[in-house]
Amino acid sequence: MALVHKLLNGSYILRKGLKPSVAACPFLSTRSADYCSSSLQKPVATPGKASTQRTAAGGLQEDQREVALDIPSPEEKPEVSFDKAIKDEIKEHFRRLKDEIVNHWIGPEGRPLQEIILEQARVVWQFRGKEDLDKWIVTSDKTIGGKSEVFLKMGKNNQSALLYGTLSSAAPQDGENSQSGYCAMISRIPRGAFERKKSYDWSQFNTLYLRVRGDGRPWMVNIREDTDIIQKTNQMYSYFMFTRGGPYWQEVKIPFSKFFFSNQGRIRDAQFQLLLDKISSIGFTLADKVDGPFFLEIDFIGVFADPAHTEEFAYENSPVLNPRLFK
Amino acid sequence: MRDYGVEKDLAVYNLLLDVFPKEVFRPRNVFQKIFVHYPRQQECGLAVLEQMENHGVMPNKETEFLLVQIFGRKSYPMLKFVRMKLWFSRFKNINPFPVPRDLPKDPVDLAVLGLRHIEPDLSARVTVYQTASSKDSTGTADPTQQHIVGIQSPDQQAALARHNPARPIFVEGPFSLWLRDRCVYYHILRADLVPPEEREVEEIPEEWNLYYPIQLDLKYGRGGWDDYEFDIDEVEEGPVFAMCMAGAHDQATLAKWIQGLQETNPALAQIPVIFRLTGSSGELLASSSGLEEPSPPPPQEQEEEEDHTQRQQQGQS
Repeated sequence: MALVHKLLNGSYILRKGLKPSVAACPFLSTRSADYCSSSLQKPVATPGKASTQRTAAGGLQEDQREVALDIPSPEEKPEVSFDKAIKDEIKEHFRRLKDEIVNHWIGPEGRPLQEIILEQARVVWQFRGKEDLDKWIVTSDKTIGGKSEVFLKMGKNNQSALLYGTLSSAAPQDGENSQSGYCAMISRIPRGAFERKKSYDWSQFNTLYLRVRGDGRPWMVNIREDTDIIQKTNQMYSYFMFTRGGPYWQEVKIPFSKFFFSNQGRIRDAQFQLLLDKISSIGFTLADKVDGPFFLEIDFIGVFADPAHTEEFAYENSPVLNPRLFK
Repeated sequence: MRDYGVEKDLAVYNLLLDVFPKEVFRPRNVFQKIFVHYPRQQECGLAVLEQMENHGVMPNKETEFLLVQIFGRKSYPMLKFVRMKLWFSRFKNINPFPVPRDLPKDPVDLAVLGLRHIEPDLSARVTVYQTASSKDSTGTADPTQQHIVGIQSPDQQAALARHNPARPIFVEGPFSLWLRDRCVYYHILRADLVPPEEREVEEIPEEWNLYYPIQLDLKYGRGGWDDYEFDIDEVEEGPVFAMCMAGAHDQATLAKWIQGLQETNPALAQIPVIFRLTGSSGELLASSSGLEEPSPPPPQEQEEEEDHTQRQQQGQS
């Protein structure tokens, strides 16, 4: 059962000329709460809005209220013209193509090779401006009919991002879902020229570093690998992030060896370590079955190579559950 | 099960599983083993186990024995039991900030637990300034006294003593903290960042101690080529001087907290304190030294940090 949530990227008007690939944006919004499994969500295509030129920093849930955070006053509404938009978009893509070709000569990802090789700590996502918020998509269980709300905006002094909202685990009465109540913030897959999918290569790092300030709730961090193969769209590696609460910033370091594998929302018996060479997106999920408001402030997300961490994979396969692996 | 309050009770789940007839659903020959024998019943057993899992109840040997008796060793409920045993024990202690399962009922105890949870400094002292008076001889609806519990560490005390009285300090709040499934609110006393030109650099005289150096700049065993710093400016915020949890979020209760703090921090008497509370009427100036100061405009970013629903409930000025 392929779970496909079609989401339009907010920053382009009318994408007639450029069709995203089929496996383009199947974002899973969330999985389980604490230990193993959650109910499988039915495939729902969120009705895509024809997004206007200003980007929606809030969730892509169809309420106008979320986008109401950024709606400019009527006098400032930009002139929307079809031809101009198409031309802009074509120019943008050719500019990206030129950047890619030029960057190929400078080094991987446009930075010189020695810098990449010697790098031991890299900031992957930072939240210093509105354009950084555009790289993230926020979803909640409204897509299956639940009542949680979640919003994303810049925090104090434009120095952090604040993800806040209300969680409600009232199950939608549609006969299919018995549990509900999740919110997720997922990063968009990085795109190259002509909307080709790119992926992150973190093979020289071994720990994920987050600087967050939460309210004591347990979150789940999910990493999805490159989604060109259709089966991989439902697979992800996850681990828990426990926030402390309090006014102090908290540094969360999660080694990549601790991420466990799950497919279609259920943790699998055959575990394998997370391979870091083609990572496409990361996401944070809150589904701890406690109703009420929540917030999470994120300063930045980075990866670094912890020299003290030598573990390769934290979970061994058991012969009881997986007799075929031990033949 | 939640209605009876027994959803976390393992004995109840075992009794529920006891309801199944014991030897009926076990597969007896190879054909029954190939096909899922009694699928609806297995699904029912799975549902019981899934509810156990959702509430975080760890099954025990009795559950295993019951499942073997009812469904057999190769059935789906048994498989789920093995998985639960494995993953629960793997994830039992991964929380670096564990919260006890049975939270105290007394609000003062809960506040103490919460404050100790968020304060990383272990030498911080918790002071109960006021306990909620539950005995109301006059019969009024709400108690006139709310509990106030504060926490302050010696470092914070020293920083407050060093604070320049010309700069005001702010009481911000309330911020929410979740302990398992209870939400408590806390306020903090903090000052704004000192701009770089006014920051004093402490100079330690060189010959203070002849036996060992005061400042040691060693990077133990790491080569000079190692660089684990992230290439980003850290978010700088003003220092936090104390935190408190109070029953009410209005200025009167917090003023009592400030008065209580003044006993241990005499320097606080000279410093103007501004209350930046969301949900109350914007900013109010309360200066303990009697200085007149115009209240600065309420900072928008401050209030937006709070929970949205709380704002909507309490109204915004």
